[in-house]
Formats: sequence, structure tokens, C-alpha cells
Amino acid sequence: MKRLALLCVLLLPACLAKPFHQQGLFDFMLEDEGSADMASTDDPVMSGFGPVCPFRCQCHLRVVQCSDLGLEKVPKDLPPDTTLLDLQNNKITEIKEGDFKNLKNLHALILVNNKISKISPLAFAPLKKLERLYLSKNSLKELPENMPKSLQEIRAHENEISKLRKAVFNGLNQVIVLELGTNPIKSSGIENGAFQGMKRLSYIRIADTNITSIPKGLPPSLTELHLDGNKISKIDAESLSGLTNLAKLGLSFNSISSVENGSLNNVPHLRELHLNNNELVRVPSGLGDHKYIQVVYLHNNKIASIGINDFCPLGYNTKKASYSGVSLFSNPVQYWEIQPSAFRCIHERSAVQIGNYK
Amino acid sequence: MKEYTLLLFLALCSAKSLTGPSYFTLKNMMLQDMEDDDYDDDDDDNSLFPTTEPILPLIPFDLFPTCPFGCQCYVRVVHCSDLGLTSVPRNIPPDTRMIDLQNNKIKEVKENDLRGLTSLYALALNNNKIYKIHPKAFEPTKRLRRLYLSHNQLTEIPTNLPRTLAELRIHANKVKKIPKDVFKGMKSLHVLEMSANPLNNDGIEPGAFEGVNIYHIRIAEAKLTSIPKGLPSSLLELHLDDNKITGIELEDFNRYKDLQRLGLGNNKIKEVENGSFANIPSIREIHLEKNKLKKVPPGLPELKYLQVVFLHSNHIAKLGVNDFCPTGRRKKKALYSGISLFNNPVKYWEVQPSTFRCILARNSVQLGNFLK
Repeated sequence: MKRLALLCVLLLPACLAKPFHQQGLFDFMLEDEGSADMASTDDPVMSGFGPVCPFRCQCHLRVVQCSDLGLEKVPKDLPPDTTLLDLQNNKITEIKEGDFKNLKNLHALILVNNKISKISPLAFAPLKKLERLYLSKNSLKELPENMPKSLQEIRAHENEISKLRKAVFNGLNQVIVLELGTNPIKSSGIENGAFQGMKRLSYIRIADTNITSIPKGLPPSLTELHLDGNKISKIDAESLSGLTNLAKLGLSFNSISSVENGSLNNVPHLRELHLNNNELVRVPSGLGDHKYIQVVYLHNNKIASIGINDFCPLGYNTKKASYSGVSLFSNPVQYWEIQPSAFRCIHERSAVQIGNYK
Repeated sequence: MKEYTLLLFLALCSAKSLTGPSYFTLKNMMLQDMEDDDYDDDDDDNSLFPTTEPILPLIPFDLFPTCPFGCQCYVRVVHCSDLGLTSVPRNIPPDTRMIDLQNNKIKEVKENDLRGLTSLYALALNNNKIYKIHPKAFEPTKRLRRLYLSHNQLTEIPTNLPRTLAELRIHANKVKKIPKDVFKGMKSLHVLEMSANPLNNDGIEPGAFEGVNIYHIRIAEAKLTSIPKGLPSSLLELHLDDNKITGIELEDFNRYKDLQRLGLGNNKIKEVENGSFANIPSIREIHLEKNKLKKVPPGLPELKYLQVVFLHSNHIAKLGVNDFCPTGRRKKKALYSGISLFNNPVKYWEVQPSTFRCILARNSVQLGNFLK
């Protein structure tokens, strides 16, 4: 009896090799062939197996690298623990609702240089930890809806965006960087107070667009504002009001012919100001009294004369930082026409470039 | 006594039979040394971006002069993309780990452009107009792991690449050859993506990959007419889609014994010589779609771990009953999970059912006989 029992127990552990079963590599073909009645996509997950890396991609340490593959769609069945998904340089035209399902841990999504013209409003819903969204070089006509509220960086350079609506930025109060250059944005297309709710916004770049003035109502958290390459014709003090944290202001390559009196007073902590390649006929007022300004690019303008108090304060030097770079070359004014005392508060000789050095 | 003998047999019988090494276990193990362990304090997942903790310092940017104007510099990452820059900016903070310079108009990387960047781990220069890289440009970057040079105008692979390099992407350039010593001493190089270059078989010089352990190579959209012979024997993945390869010959894979994934889609392959696949016994996935095959390549039943075979869009007119499944006692260690045969002359009603006897999941075979 005992032996029989032991024999039975002996037979029990069937020496099985578990079948090795990869999942889900196939669904794309089901679509191709119109085989709508094929098995559902809810295959049971084989436990203890591990994530699947889409063919030709490289998956390593939660980074999925699928760039340069000519993909027309976001690959399915991406490993659920992915933190960075690089899909740049493909031919993706559309982001559909389920494309990113299960990617709960995704921090960065790179969709740069595709042909995306349409993003489903529910596409980003699963991405509750997304911090960086790179959409540059696509065909988007507007920023996608319902971007994750965890976002810190949004880049949508070189698209076909003409409008910036307030609704699209709703709730995005963690965004620090916003890059929207090379888009056909018009000043009238920027809704009033579009960026108001973005309490952490520190860097905005809206360069090479069709805007004709500095957008109003920019958030006071801004430290860098880059509006180069636009069609701005003048700087009005009101646009810069409230920007007490602004440290860098880029306005080069516009058509600015005047800077309203008091503009620079609104940005008391400005350190660097680029106004080169504009239509200025004189040095903007307020530089002399400005306490922190250090770099001022004024080259390639139409400045015909420089006053002795254009850069330096009258009387006692109240500046807290000294100029480290002032450029005045390629202006009508000639170096011999400038009185030396105009640069009395500039201690480093090389800090001023008047174009008399070859 | 007999009881004890029986118990012994019980123990022995419980030893599970050997299953093949998990593809990912093996790959991750080998790729582990791609990343420098003692080095990434805040960058646990070794992605290009600091992602483990949100970056919320009090002052987000390195305001004080050392961030190039227009760029964003924070926690050792410098973002200078999309700025129309014509050269590498000069005042990059010296402790920078990652520089993103993509999508600019940089034409040249000069000798001193990367000076002092001794902590640099990743450099993205893709999508520029680079046609020239100084041979000493990478001298300072002694810790560089990832170099992205795709979409530029380079006519050759830069010389004197850092020996620590783990990933090189030089897709879509004008590279015509891989010279003999270009990867010399680069023991960490594991991934090479150089598709969309005008490279033909003669361009791969003998010895080009000597001493290098690359695991993943992709040379798609090039001018290859046969499977290159001199690739490293450490290869796990070889992707040669979109070339002009006309056939697979017996000796083609005899040095690539560890190959697990093979991509040969969209070539002009007419025939696979008998025995060619016997040289790649660990293969799990073979893509041969969009070629000119007249029959299923020989040797598939003997490939114990083969799970996915793409054969769609070929000229296959007939299927043999033993094309996929082994005869007799031989057994596969892994079951097929995907075979595609649609878009071939063969019709589903011409196929004997026993052809797919070893395939258990019905939807694993796509014959194209289902229509909406």
C-alpha cells in the first residue's frame, strides 16, 4: 500500500517544459487583413515572462528606443514599466486613444519628427506620470487636449499651430518649459490669459512665428522669455508688467523700432537682453538705472547716436552687477562719435563691442 | 530501502526540463554593463533624461551666465534644441551629463567644442547639418555612452570615438564604409543603428568589427546585396530590412550563433539555402516578409525556440506538410505564436491541416483567409 502511494506521488510531478509564449506581436496584422473576427486583443498575460520589445526597437532598463524605423503607428504592447519612449523620426500620422494604455510609469514621450496631425483627446489619459512631451516637427494644427497635469516640459516646435487656447493649458501648473517656436501663431490667436494658470512656468519660447507684439498676461513666474524671429514692432511697458522674475529676454530678429519708456523698469531682475537685428534708432531707455542688467545685444540696428547716460547711471553708480557684454556693432553710429564717458561704468574693456576691432 | 529508492526517484523526476534562456533575461544581463553602475547616482533607470524625481529646484535654471542663451540648463541636462544654432554653444556647464542639440543648423563639430565636458554621458546631435567632425573632438568626453548623429551629412563614421560608447546612432547620413579600426577598443559598444546610409557589402572592411561585442545592429535601407559576413559574433539582433539582399546562403550565419531576432523584410530574397538556419539555433523571430520566396525556407521545424515567422507578401505557392512542424519525436521548446502567410499565391484551402499541427493557438497563423 505504501509503495503504491509512493508510486502515485512519483507520477505526479509531470516533468513539463512550460510552453514559451510571446504575446501580442501580431495584432497589427489582424488589422491589415481586415480579420475583424479574430481573437480579441485581451490575451491572458503569461506570468513570469516579462515585457515584449517591439521588433527592431531596443528595450533596456525601461527605455524603449524605437526611432528611425519608419513606423506608421505607435507599436502595441510596450513594456508597462517603460519610463522613456523614443519614437522620433518615424511616420506616425495619428495618436489614437489606446496607443499608450498601461504606460503608467512613462516620464518622457518623444514623438519628434513624425507626421502627426491628429491626437485623440483621450490619448494621454493613462499617462499620469508624464513629465516631458516632445511633439516638435509634426503637423499639429493645435496643441493636444487633456495633456497630463504632471507635465513639466512641452515642446511643439515646428508644427502648424496657429492658435493657443486657454483651455489647452488648463491645469498644467507643473509646466516649467514651453517651446512653441516655428509655428504660424498670430498674436490674435493667443487667447487672453492663455498661460495664466501655469504657476511654475519659467521658460517660454515663441520664436519664428507671426506674432506682432509681446503676448499679454504672461505668468509672473517667468524667468526666460524668448520671442526672437517674430514680427514685433514695438515693446510696450504693459506687456512686461508683473514679470519681476524675468532674467533673460530674447527679442532679436524682430522689427522693433521703439521701446516704451518704463519697459525695463517692469523687469527689475533682467540680466540679459537681446535686441539685436531690429530697427531701433536709439538705445532703449532705462539701462542706466537698471541694477542687474549685464548683457545687452544691440548690434544690427539703426542706432545713430549714443547718449552719455544711455548705459550708465547719472552720478553715483547704483548698479549691482556690471556689464559683461554690450554689442553695438553694425549700427550707423561710429565709434569715434561716442563719448568715452558713455561707458564709464563698464570696467572691462572687452565687454563693449563697437565694431572697431577686426 | 525500496521506499527510499522511490523517494529518490521522486526527487529526480521533479527536476524541470530545461527551457531556453528567456530572451530578455539574457539580453538584459548582457546589456547591464552598458550602463556604468557606480556612476548614476540620480539616474537609476539610465534614460536620457533625469526621470526618477521631478526636478523642482527653487530656481529652475542655471541663471548665472553659464547656460547658453535660449537653452535650458538644469540638473546637468542642457536642452538646446530647435534654436537654429550654427555651432555648438561655448558656455555649456562643465558638469553636464546630457546635451540635446538636435534640430539646429550645426555644420561642424570642432576640436574644442566639447572641451571640459568630462561628465558627458549622452550627446544628441541628430537633425543638424554636420558634415565634419574633428578627429580630436571626442577627446575630452571620456565617459560618453550615447552618441546620436542621425540625420546629418556625415560621409564617414567619426574617428576616435570614446571607448566608453555604448550606443551609436548614425542613421540617415552619407556613410559609405565602415573602416577597419573605427570601433577599435570600443568594448562597450552594444547598439549600432546606421540605416539609411549608402553602404554596400564592400564598404564593410574586413576586421571592422574585430574585438567589439555589439548585440543589436541595424543597417536597413542601405545597399546590401547579401548578409554581411564580418559582423560581430556577439550579435543577438540583426536588422537588415529594406536592402537588396537576394538570397540566404549556407555560410551566412555561421558566425552569428547567438542570434535571436533576424529582420530581413523587404529585400529580394528568392531562396534560403538548406541548412542556413541550422547555424542560428537560438533564433526566436525571423522576418522575411516582402521578399521573393517561392517556398517556406527550409529548417524551421528544427529551430527549437522559433516563435514568430513573417512570410507574408512573398511568392509562396505551396506549403509542405513539414514546413513548420517537426516530424517524429523531435519537439519544439517554444510554440509558434505568430506565422504570417497572407498575400502569397498559396490558398488556404490548399493547405493540409496537419501543416499547422504543432501550433496550438488558432490565431497564431495568418493565412489571409479572413475578410471583413
